[in-house]
Amino acid sequence: MTDLRIAAVGDIHLGEDVRGQYRKNLDGIEERADILMVAGDLTRHGTLEEGRVVADELRGLPIPVVAVLGNHDYHSDLQHEIAEELRRAGVIVLDDDGVVIECGGIRLGVVGGKGFGGGFAGKCASEFGEPETKNFVRHTRMIAEAWQQALKDIDADRRVVLSHYAPIKETLEGEPLEIYPFLGSYLLAEAVDTAGADLILHGHAHKGTEKGMTSGGIRVRNVALPVLGRAYAVYCLACD
Amino acid sequence: MEAPQYVAARVQAALAEDVRTHELGIRVDVRGDQLFLRGEVSGAEQRERLAQVAREAAPDLQVHNEIHVVEIERPGESEHLD
Repeated sequence: MTDLRIAAVGDIHLGEDVRGQYRKNLDGIEERADILMVAGDLTRHGTLEEGRVVADELRGLPIPVVAVLGNHDYHSDLQHEIAEELRRAGVIVLDDDGVVIECGGIRLGVVGGKGFGGGFAGKCASEFGEPETKNFVRHTRMIAEAWQQALKDIDADRRVVLSHYAPIKETLEGEPLEIYPFLGSYLLAEAVDTAGADLILHGHAHKGTEKGMTSGGIRVRNVALPVLGRAYAVYCLACD
Repeated sequence: MEAPQYVAARVQAALAEDVRTHELGIRVDVRGDQLFLRGEVSGAEQRERLAQVAREAAPDLQVHNEIHVVEIERPGESEHLD
């Protein structure tokens, strides 16, 4: 039995003043992991300058790097430009789509994107009332539908979902209850439970908890850097 | 006199929205003429910027910067998901 070793971190929030510092933590990562996944909020303000710092920190790693953007990376309306900078540095950037990567003889499917909020079953917003509210919830629903379709379309041995926003509330424990609707949505988990996956990774909730599970039994890990307290976590998926 | 809860909310919004900080997870408490900042950031410069923005948003209060700078540790042991 071979293990697929997935290194994961989110919310690294890099800027010019910390250039070069995060990269030092990635030295030797190829000995610990087969792939690195970065769960959004790569920058602080979503500027192109910060995007270039992130691209330089992740450039030329000896293992594949897959990333999604987070809400901070959208702040300056330069999300497409930041994604392009990252792609030029060799990073695979997911935007509500999927990719299959050959990792040590295993076909690993990764599906994901930023995700969005809305809240959790029984205590969530719905597509009702003002257009602003409907648009908010519709945005999340369309993302969830895209992920579900991408998961169904992918032909892979193992499937991982990479998000910025949280799909369950268990990994938010530690955050104030009042802000849960801004931290994630159960629609994301429902979509993944329907299509199936082996693991969901997310960030965004700095005060949350690392480990949780969807209603369907899929493991969820909150890999926000302040939650981990370490440069990245490594999760091993058993592969026959 | 502005209620302390509104002052704290205004400072918290400034920390999130000011271009120098954009920090969302900082707790702000006001007691009398004292303002307390708590939370975790990744660098000392960001901690100082947060205190500066808070001072500007509430110039009549004494700002106590209790924000903790988190040191990133080396990756620890892996978790096996079987």
